[in-house]
Amino acid sequence: MLLPAFCLLLIALAVYPLKGTGYGVRFMLQLFMWIALAQSWNLISGLTGYVSFGHIAFFGMGAYTAGILIVKLGWPWLWASLAGGVGAFVLALVIGWPCLRLKGPYFAIAMLGLNEVLRVAVSYFEGLTGGGSGLSLPALYASVPIYYAMGLVALAVTALAYVIVTSRFGLRLMTIREDEVAAEAMGIDTFRYKLYAFLLSAVGPGIVGGLAARDQSYIEPISVFPLIMTITMIVMVLFGGKGTIWGPVLGAVLLFTLQEMIWARFIYVHQLLFGAIIVAVVLLMPRGILGVLQQKYNLPRTI
Amino acid sequence: MLGQVVISGLLAGALYAMVALGLGLIFGVMRVLNVSHGPLLMLGAYTTFWLFQWLGLNPYLSLVVSMPLLFLVGVVLQRFFVGRVVDAPELSSLLLTFGISIALVNLAQLAFTADLRSVEYLTGSFLLGPFAFSKSRVIACLFAIVITAGAFLFLKMTRLGKAIRAVSQSREVAQVCGVDVGRIHMIAFGIGSALAAAGGTLVAVMVAIQPEMGQVYTFKSFLVIVLGGAGNYPGALLGGLLLGLIEQVSSLFLTTQVNEAVAYVLLVLVLLVRPTGLLKGRAQ
Repeated sequence: MLLPAFCLLLIALAVYPLKGTGYGVRFMLQLFMWIALAQSWNLISGLTGYVSFGHIAFFGMGAYTAGILIVKLGWPWLWASLAGGVGAFVLALVIGWPCLRLKGPYFAIAMLGLNEVLRVAVSYFEGLTGGGSGLSLPALYASVPIYYAMGLVALAVTALAYVIVTSRFGLRLMTIREDEVAAEAMGIDTFRYKLYAFLLSAVGPGIVGGLAARDQSYIEPISVFPLIMTITMIVMVLFGGKGTIWGPVLGAVLLFTLQEMIWARFIYVHQLLFGAIIVAVVLLMPRGILGVLQQKYNLPRTI
Repeated sequence: MLGQVVISGLLAGALYAMVALGLGLIFGVMRVLNVSHGPLLMLGAYTTFWLFQWLGLNPYLSLVVSMPLLFLVGVVLQRFFVGRVVDAPELSSLLLTFGISIALVNLAQLAFTADLRSVEYLTGSFLLGPFAFSKSRVIACLFAIVITAGAFLFLKMTRLGKAIRAVSQSREVAQVCGVDVGRIHMIAFGIGSALAAAGGTLVAVMVAIQPEMGQVYTFKSFLVIVLGGAGNYPGALLGGLLLGLIEQVSSLFLTTQVNEAVAYVLLVLVLLVRPTGLLKGRAQ
């Protein structure tokens, strides 16, 4: 029942650009982006409990890697975006190695700090990145191909989440989340598995960052390293249900739609509303929609 | 040149230490990193600005209004919001206080507009031999020292202060000894907020006041308590002075833009190399 419905949905999304309006395609494209970002954050923080407060750093890394390859070396955007994923992977290796030894709020704040350091570094190396005045990509109207690429990334990251949650690897990660000392005592090499999860969670945002850079044709340090985007993906995951497979997707769809439909009309109180939503989600439903349903109706863990 | 830099660093550092002591108190007692600490400082600065604007009140005198006012705000925040997530994983309290933080900034934008405001008071400098120091910075430093010393005396000498330190050492044991932990949490959050407000009042005379002025203090305060050792209150003092010094010295070599990143780099380095802080704090 569920599987045919899901396949139908995929087919509908695949043919949508043939019929949809320009606005509709761009809306869906951004929705895919948020699904991929939220799901990636879920891989590290939802599963292992290590709160990455600077996850958007990988998005920015991907955006700048792709942007520079496109502008300076004339790479095609698809390859450049994949290279953005590689760039984010390398960055995750460099910062995950030391930082995953930190615990609790210390890890969260270190990630936040690294994101800021990266933003300043990008502004500083003007020759390569264009500095504070940003990097303009050559004009290209490719919304539809980017739509498919973004959709595939969202699908791939969600599939990855499914594979991980239903595997022994996922069980190890969740054991780390529940009690790291106990996990260690059971013979799990916690550091290694945390690092694997961290690396996997960085690739998606890297590729998505490259695609978003191509889509927007212009990137600047403040537009690709904003703390508020990290917070948005966290809230999406929390709203949908962290540590689940479909929670981040659900949270991204609901929050992004809400944002487009309602918040755009209240520009002056946008932040206030967002703040209120964060407070409400944290206080009233910290387990998220799927978490609550899971508990109430005894749904399988791998939902 | 160097003497000037060192003294400017210490002047700024005393202020950092006071503001960070507020954050450290909340962190020590509840293990909650209050991301809205900076925006509370901003509210303190606006209190001073409006009192000066409407009533012509001496900005330093407005400490007696801004500190109690923000104490109350802190108690309310703790009672209705933060108190509910004290025992939850850190994600809850980080996100919750972040939500409060952006809501406060947005409210300030709506109420006070995003215009840059300033309190025109005590401009000019003291000349001391070859050195020149802006009067407002020297006075701010003196007030910061007095207020910080007062906070320490309170923590050391009074029964309430002892109860606060007891809760930050071990909540369970303090509870067994008859300390009302919920009340201590509220008072600690209130005092932390009042210290932020004092910081806001003192910087109001020195820098432009605007709704987003506070955020940077949240991060610097966290750096200060990590430098000094989390849960180690005298450590905050050392950390604050160190941060002030390092920032001033590095500003000699770096552009303003890059200098912004110094605090962040420093934080990551300290966390990696010596996570217990310079004075031994509670291990993470």
